[in-house]
Parts: sequence; C-alpha cells; structure tokens
Amino acid sequence: MQSLGQQLVIAAIPVIPLVVFFVLALFGRLLRENAQYVAIFGMVFSVVFSFFALYLVIRDGRPLEFSVYWINLGEGGGFPIGVYIDELAAVMLVVVSFVSLMIQLYSGGFMAGDRRFAWYYAVLNLFTASMLGLVVAPNFIELYICWELVGLCSYLLIGHWFEKPAARDAALKAFIVTRIGDAALFVGIIMFWRATGTTAFEGIAEAAQAGFIGGSLLTAAVVLVFVGAIGKSAQFPLHVWLPDAMEGPTPVSALIHAATMVAAGVYLVARTYDIFVQSPTAMLIVAYIGAFTAFMAATMALVKKDIKRVIAYSTVSQLGYMMLGLGVGAFSAGMFHLYNHAFFKALLFLCAGSIIHAMDSYNLFEMGGLRRRMPLTFWTMVIAGLSLAGIFPLAGFWSKDAIIASAFEEHYYVLYALAIGTVFLTAFYIFRAIFLAFTGEPRTEGAARAVESPGVMTVPMVILAVLSVASGWVGIPEGFGLPVRDYFGGFVAPSGFARETLEVEPHGFSFLLAAISVLVGLAGIGLAYAMYVARPALAPAMARRLFGLHTFLDKGWYFDALYGATFVRAAFAVGRAVQGFDREVLGGLVGGIARGTGRLGEALRRVQTGRVQNYALFIVVSVLVLAIVAGAQYAVIVAALIALVTLATLAVGARL
Amino acid sequence: MQQLVEQLNAQIPLEGYLTVAAIMFAIGAWGALIRRNAVVVFMCVELMINAVNLTLVAFADFLPGAGGAGAGYAVLIIAIAAAEVAVGLAIVLAIFRTRRTVNIDEVDSLRG
Repeated sequence: MQSLGQQLVIAAIPVIPLVVFFVLALFGRLLRENAQYVAIFGMVFSVVFSFFALYLVIRDGRPLEFSVYWINLGEGGGFPIGVYIDELAAVMLVVVSFVSLMIQLYSGGFMAGDRRFAWYYAVLNLFTASMLGLVVAPNFIELYICWELVGLCSYLLIGHWFEKPAARDAALKAFIVTRIGDAALFVGIIMFWRATGTTAFEGIAEAAQAGFIGGSLLTAAVVLVFVGAIGKSAQFPLHVWLPDAMEGPTPVSALIHAATMVAAGVYLVARTYDIFVQSPTAMLIVAYIGAFTAFMAATMALVKKDIKRVIAYSTVSQLGYMMLGLGVGAFSAGMFHLYNHAFFKALLFLCAGSIIHAMDSYNLFEMGGLRRRMPLTFWTMVIAGLSLAGIFPLAGFWSKDAIIASAFEEHYYVLYALAIGTVFLTAFYIFRAIFLAFTGEPRTEGAARAVESPGVMTVPMVILAVLSVASGWVGIPEGFGLPVRDYFGGFVAPSGFARETLEVEPHGFSFLLAAISVLVGLAGIGLAYAMYVARPALAPAMARRLFGLHTFLDKGWYFDALYGATFVRAAFAVGRAVQGFDREVLGGLVGGIARGTGRLGEALRRVQTGRVQNYALFIVVSVLVLAIVAGAQYAVIVAALIALVTLATLAVGARL
Repeated sequence: MQQLVEQLNAQIPLEGYLTVAAIMFAIGAWGALIRRNAVVVFMCVELMINAVNLTLVAFADFLPGAGGAGAGYAVLIIAIAAAEVAVGLAIVLAIFRTRRTVNIDEVDSLRG
C-alpha cells in the first residue's frame, strides 16, 4: 500500500497535462507563444513523476494500484476508476512522457509563428494526458474513455492546418477508420462484461481461467478487442489512415508514431495478454496480421516520394513486428521493440521535420546534397536509420532480432520468412530516403539554400539519437556473452500464468539468426547505396521496367481504391438513400402537416369576426347544446324565452 | 277580501322566483346579443347578473340546509358587478374617445 502522497504524485502523471490543456485552452490567446513554457513546465513534472513511479515499482517489486468508485451500483458492483501500474505500465509511462517532452521542446521551434500555436500545445497536452491515462488504466472502461480521447486528439492534431483540404480529409479519415476498430473494441468489452461481470483486466483474466467465458465466445471477444488494436495501431486491413495522417504537423506525426496513438493498440494487446493467451486462435491471428502488415507496409514504403510517408509506412511495418512478437509469445521482445521504436521513430520524424523546416518540401526528389548543409540532421538520421534497420549494436537490433528469433524458434517458418524479408525491405527503404535526401547534388534551389535547424530542434534530436543507440542496451540477452543482465526482459515479463499457458521455453541467444538478420539488413543498405548513390540511373530505369509493380506499390496495393469503391461508395449510397427518405418522406410529412394546419387556420379565421356579440352568441349556443345534452330543462326554457322575445320583437318591428 | 289578503300574504312558491329570474335572464341575454349600443348591452348584462342574484337569494330562502350562503354570494356578486361596470364603462369611454362611436358593431379591430 502506498502513502497518500505517493498516490497523489502518481495520479498527477496524467492529470498534469490535462490541467495544462485546460489552462492553455482557456488562456491560450493571452499566452500565445509562451504556451510552450507552460506546457514544458508541466511535462517535466510528468516525466519526473513517471520515473518516480518506475522507481516505486522496481523497489516494491509489485504493481502500484488504487482506485475509487466512479459509478457505484451498490449490490450490482460498479465501475471503478483508478491506477494500475505494473512493470509494463511503468516503462510505458516513462517512454510516453519522455518522448512527449522531447516533442514539445522541438515543437517550439517547428511551430514558431503558427496561427494556433497555443491551441496546438493544448491539444498536444490533452493527447499526452489521455495516453498516460490509457497506460495507467486498470479496467476496460477507463481505458476506453482514454482510447477515445486519443482518437479525438489525433483528429484535432492531424487536422491542425484545417485550411488545407487534404489535412481536413486526412483527419476525418483517421477518425472514421479508427472508429471502426473502436466500435469492435466496445462490443468486445460489453461481451466480457456480460460474461464475467467485471471490466478489470485482472478480473476478466481470472474469470476466463475459471471458465466463466471460454471457447468460441472468448475467441470472439478477444478478436473484437484485437480489431480495436488493429484500428489504433494501423494494422492490415485498417492501416489506410496512417499514411494520410502525415498531413498534420511533423512533430505530431512523431508523437502519434512514437509514443501515443499507434502504441495504444500494441499496449492494449500487451495489457490484456493474460486474456489473449487463453485463445490460441486469437494469438495466431495476432501473429499473422502482424507479420503480414510488417511485410505489406514495407513494400509500400519502397517507392514513396514523400519522406514522411516513407517513415509512416515504416511505422505500420514496425508495429506489425510488435504484434508478431506478441502473437508468437515473445511478450518481452514485442514490448521491447515498442520501447526502442519510440525513440528511433520519434527521431526519424524529428529529422524529417528538420529537413521540411529547412526547405519547406516533403518531396525526396527535391532534396539531395543536404549532408553538407545539415550535418547534425544527417548524422542523427543515419543513427535512427541504422537502428530501424536493426544493425548491431544499435537499439533496434536487440528487440527486432529477439522477435524474429522467437518466430523461428516457435516454428512459425512462414512468419519468419515474412519477417526476415521485411528486414531487407526496411533497410532498403530507409536508406533510400537517406541517400536521396542527403547525398549527391542539390536538386532544387531550396535544397541548395537549406540551413541547419535551430538549437531548440536539434537538442531533442541529439538526445533521441543517443537513446536510439543505447536504449536497447538495457535488454541485451543473457546468452550474448557480455557481463550484463537482461534488465528489460526480466522486468517487463509476461505473467506466470501467460508463460504456463503458452508453454514458451526460454531460448538462448542464437548468433546464427542474429547474423542472418544483420547481414540481410546490410544487404538492404548496400542495395540502396548501389541504386541511389553509386548508379543513380538504375532506380528510374527499374521503375520504368517494372511500371506495373511500381504503381501497385505507390498506390499502396490499391487499398484506398478498393475501400473507395466498396465501403465509401456504399456509405455514400446509404447516405443518399437516407437523405432522400428524410427529404421526401419525413420532410413531406412534416411539410404536409404544416400546410394542412395552415389551410385549416385560413378557414377558421373567418370565425374570428372581432365582434363581441358574435362571441357571446357562440357561448349561448354552446351552453344550449350542453344543456340539451345534459337534459337541463331550465336552460332550455331560458333559450326558448330568448327565442320567443326575439321573434316577438321582430314581429313588432315588422309591424311598425 | 279576506281571502285575497291571505292569498297575497301566502308564501310565493320557488317556481315563481325562478320563472321571473329566467325571464329576466332571457331578456338580458337577448339584449346583449341583439342591441348595438354598448351602454345598452351593459345594462342587459346587469339584468342577467341580477337574474342570477335573484335565484341565489330565492334558493337561500327555500333551502334551509344551505345556511343562507346564497345571500352572501349575492352580496359578493353585487360588489363585483359594480366593479365590472366601472371597468366596462371606462372601456366604453376610451373607445368613444378614439373612435367617436359606442356602436359595438363597428368595434372589430380584433377580426382574424
């Protein structure tokens, strides 16, 4: 049990950015560009507190958890809201808050002079807050709330420059595509809740062990949860939103790709791992979707002209690796890759942002020769690229090799082949981008006049470059022969229950498999060098020769066209039908009632003569009718008398 | 002679009062519906009110169980009628000032 002070400090990790969001949203107009200092001040505290949480988890050797009731249903249970920080969550907290801090530092330079500077920082903080909340969530309901907030923030940030139609469309696309996954996730949550009566991750895992939910129902619920992860983590077949999301500001892309949005899906699978392992079918689906996505996205990245899109497809591909790792039972390796990927992917985006900031173009073929103009950006990007390509001894090597080796040693040879093929493609596409941007002669005026970015941008890049090299060194496997321990693998380990269910035996470090993947990576780099530096004429020639394949890859396997022709068109057809029904049937009904009422009123207005005596006559006649109905003789007599007197007067008048 | 005096002193039956009241009410209602002059219409309304008053007083006398409540109501109605006349005549005066007529046929500005 933690003291109240510790609980407050831990609860403050997600709450601080949330408070910063409200401050910046309310006073952004006054703060203007000073908003960044408010945001960074708050973020520093979140980072420090995250490290404190990590320290507490290490010291106590058990999860931090506390909760209060959000909705209390009395006898019927309730929905608690609280904090559950185990080793996995603690590492994620540090990664998310740290990367977010780096990106907020960098954004101060990149977004300088933006019209909605303070609003940008406000949403950035809400984004971070919801991701931190998602990480500490102990149950599905809390996770789902943060999950949706993450989706909302990605919409707002991708559409930050909403004056551009492309940014608007991309924001909507991201929101709608991930929403498909969200809906599936929600159905999955309801299925778990119906079957087990709880939404807590631990509770559901235990209930499933006890047999409250099992068989095909369990598999269906787990797969639905995984569909949610597919949407957020941009896996096949819901990957189409991520490349378009490049329309947002580059630091946002870095944040989405490194720490927040897309990591959420992988994190969800890891968080609910004890549930996933109980359904072998679901685990296989995770592994195959992951491996296929990794390969598919890597092929798409081969031909892209837009530097950010190359990196975006690389993210999709790397997330596929993480899913593959989780799916084949290499829990630690998958999460280790998520952790390493956060640093080198953030760095890649910050490098791309630095280039874009310097020459205001995304197009690789308008760059060239930037190595001399921007040496710091060049070297940091090479480090990030080597780490991404999985070259020894950089960070990416350790985690990627662990995943690939696990796939091989668990006898998933198809998955291994896909993964090793992806290593080659990865090394090729990232160095193609680097060689196109930095070597050779400047292809445009902008490239020739580019200058290195200011210190506020390069300092985070250098910090991340150091981490891209060294972050993997906390997880060097024991069998490697160095006198270090596998801290990460020992720390972020699957539960004992998951280990028993999966029957995964610990493998020694295989030098052969590692050597193969490094050599394949080097071969990819070598091919990129040959095609884009040594013989620059080769690439266009190949593109012409393999025109069909080139277009196929450039169009992203025609997924957008396919979805456009089927789902989007169907949705539009339904929309038009509903609109027609609304306009013709419902509109006609409402209009008809309105016209009928109008006509009736037109007819009845003649009754309103404005003469008091007419009204009095109505009253008399009405009373008379009522009297006749009620059978009151006296009223009838009075009426008869009135009539008599009238007749008499008329008779007298006629005679006079 | 003696017989006539006895007859005159004898209790008038309830039906007598009610018949008179009915005739008064009918005349009042007739005038209110027929006459054009607003002042005459008012007088007719007074006639109707007093017809009702008459029935109230008559019932108060003939229904001992009511404890004379009808007479109390009659006093109340007289007071209200006085107030109503004051307001009504003020309206008639106001109409006369603006339109130079008290002919209620011509006062129809609320026509739909």
